[in-house]
Amino acid sequence: MAQAQAHNIAQAKEGDKVISTIAMIVTLVSFGMLFLTLMMGFAIYRFTAPVWPPAGMEKPSLLLPTISTLVIVLSSIIYMSFEKNVVKGMADKRGLTWTLILGVAFMVSQFLFWNQLKSHGIFVSSGIFASIIYAFTWIHAAHIVAGLGLLVWLYSALKTADSMTAVKVANVGKFWHFLGIVWIIMFVTIFVL
Amino acid sequence: MAFFEQEIHDAPTTFLSKYVFSFDHKVIAKQFLWYGIAFLGIGGMMALLIRWTLAFPGEPFPVIGPMLFPHTGGVVPPDTYAMLFTLHGTIMIFFAITPILIGAFGNYCIPLLIGARDMVFPTLNMLSFWLAFVSAVLLLASLFTPLGGAAGGWTSYPTLSTLIGSAGVGQTLWCLSLFVLGVSSTMGAVNYIATIITLRAPGMGYFDMPLTIWGLWLTAILNAIFLPVLGAGLLLLTFDRVFGTTFFLAGAAATSGSGDPVLFQHVFWIFGHPEVYILILPAWGIVSDLLSFFARKPAFGAKATALAMTSITILSTLVYGHHMYSTQMSPLLTQSFMMLTMTISIPSAVFFANWLGTLWKGAIRFQTPMLFSLGVVFVFGLGGLTGLYLATVSTDLYLHDTYFVVGHFHYTMAASVLLGGFAATYFWFPKMFGRMMNETLGKWHFWISMIGLNGIFMGMMIIGHAGMHRRIYNPFVYEFLQNLIPLNMFITISALTMGAAQLFFVYNFVYSMFKGPIATQNPWEVGTLEWTIPSPAPHYNFKEVPVVKCGPHEFGNPNLSGKDFQYQTEELVRA
Repeated sequence: MAQAQAHNIAQAKEGDKVISTIAMIVTLVSFGMLFLTLMMGFAIYRFTAPVWPPAGMEKPSLLLPTISTLVIVLSSIIYMSFEKNVVKGMADKRGLTWTLILGVAFMVSQFLFWNQLKSHGIFVSSGIFASIIYAFTWIHAAHIVAGLGLLVWLYSALKTADSMTAVKVANVGKFWHFLGIVWIIMFVTIFVL
Repeated sequence: MAFFEQEIHDAPTTFLSKYVFSFDHKVIAKQFLWYGIAFLGIGGMMALLIRWTLAFPGEPFPVIGPMLFPHTGGVVPPDTYAMLFTLHGTIMIFFAITPILIGAFGNYCIPLLIGARDMVFPTLNMLSFWLAFVSAVLLLASLFTPLGGAAGGWTSYPTLSTLIGSAGVGQTLWCLSLFVLGVSSTMGAVNYIATIITLRAPGMGYFDMPLTIWGLWLTAILNAIFLPVLGAGLLLLTFDRVFGTTFFLAGAAATSGSGDPVLFQHVFWIFGHPEVYILILPAWGIVSDLLSFFARKPAFGAKATALAMTSITILSTLVYGHHMYSTQMSPLLTQSFMMLTMTISIPSAVFFANWLGTLWKGAIRFQTPMLFSLGVVFVFGLGGLTGLYLATVSTDLYLHDTYFVVGHFHYTMAASVLLGGFAATYFWFPKMFGRMMNETLGKWHFWISMIGLNGIFMGMMIIGHAGMHRRIYNPFVYEFLQNLIPLNMFITISALTMGAAQLFFVYNFVYSMFKGPIATQNPWEVGTLEWTIPSPAPHYNFKEVPVVKCGPHEFGNPNLSGKDFQYQTEELVRA
């Protein structure tokens, strides 16, 4: 009887792992479609415009977006090593803390960037180019805020470490890396090209 | 195979935990059912106001007209007319049909039909309903804003839906409402997909799932993929309206780069065409099962039906352009979209033929759920065939924006989905409430509804073919349309008939819930898992998780004695 119960519990834990992974993948497919739609819109504006950026509009300086990119890439790399440590069973939260700090730094760089645009007289209503920059970075930033929330949540999840911990860390990681990839695509297509 | 067995949760004890903030999929299903039926009533009343205006232009709507529009003496004003058809479409699609078929029957059927105790994420499920509730509040609140609700059509094309076309807050609330509803539906989709993959009872392979589950599963996949596409469009439209971005504003080119109103149409239909299947797939699944149950025959080509539904799901993602033939799309693209759209006919024909194969030489029991299922076969056949004219570029250019389109999509999306919803309601009512609905009233409901809806939608196709344009407040200012007034009166009388038929349903539903004859465990003599447990289903569904040993449509096995069906938990009887 006790053996059957233990078997059920083990099965339930295994099930929880699979379920949360499926749920995160489906969620990321959904978010992926949202950003894909935005990028499709960008492509249409970009390729149907006679000149890009549109007349009277200059591309913003690459400095802050590049810093944002470096910060988010670094945060992903650090998170990956943190994830490896968790799998190995090492209770070292420094990686998580650094990811969180870099995530906040990314948000700060975004605020500075929006501020810079404003100081150059580029407002959200200043035409399609400005609309794209502001709206897309807003939507991405909203997801970053959600990602930061998940990182903070991980602290409490790590307190009661069990067989699910690695799955939780992996799933939050999927979300965080996804946001990094989205940012890199936006950086290259909107700011660089 | 099930990955694990969910534990039996304690029964809720307080009123709030039992009926309001319930985690139980069956209670959430009922909440979605009330929600959908309430909006069916509101959307239906709006349809009657629209129809009255077209049949009797300038005449006050009887009884409630003077209360609703006192400043015009009860006549529907032109600006309100645009708002009415906008909200009628929005409400019926997003707030009536979606909650009934996906919210109510998705929630009710998935765990019960796959042998699970609940959804994998009960809390997410509850949140999904309450977010849908918030969305409804936002939509209804828009009616009480100074310039009234959204009036840019249910598709809300810019520039009608930008500040240039709709200045009020109503359209912004419409966008927000649909965005919130999209989040709610995505939460539901995550839950449905994960539940079906991981919580199927031991022994239940994908092809042992009832076709109802196939329909709901494919729907959830489409929802997860395509709702965010609409979400992106709605976000950008909201930004245009609230923050002054210029995504969908044409004419901004002169100063600083151009927006593109047609982009919204692309985004809308990339979502919108799969949405047609989001609505119809659950109905197809339910009907495929019910035809087999009531014909007392195995579903003909059940695997092929499931695969045909899957093919249609995939193809549905590639054909959105047929909604936009008249938007100066490249002729090369229109041809491609026409080809792809026509290709959908092939899997559609497969499962339609399978429906007929299931019925062929069946020992059909003409009970109410079966009548409604047969109704779906009939109206979907008509809707599907009339779709061919709209899929073809040359005929679409003539028929586009006429009432032919309205007739076609009401046959496919409204009539067949609505009848499918009624079939499901009559069929699962005993399991939901432990009582039977009245068969005679059900049959009256069916026949009068069928007469009414065919009068409406066939009439619409005729007036559309005669050139009557959609969306016009008083089309009869055009002399060539004046001879269509009698036909419009006929359509309106049909609509009133259809509306009156629903009174049979409402009375039957409410009366049977409290006073209907007590239902047995398996009143329809069907073998799927939900009929192996008492009616109404207990809060934990299955005391022991069932082990599945055969398919869901094992009827009329000549080796069986004493009954003509097998439970899925029984070993298949062989000679």
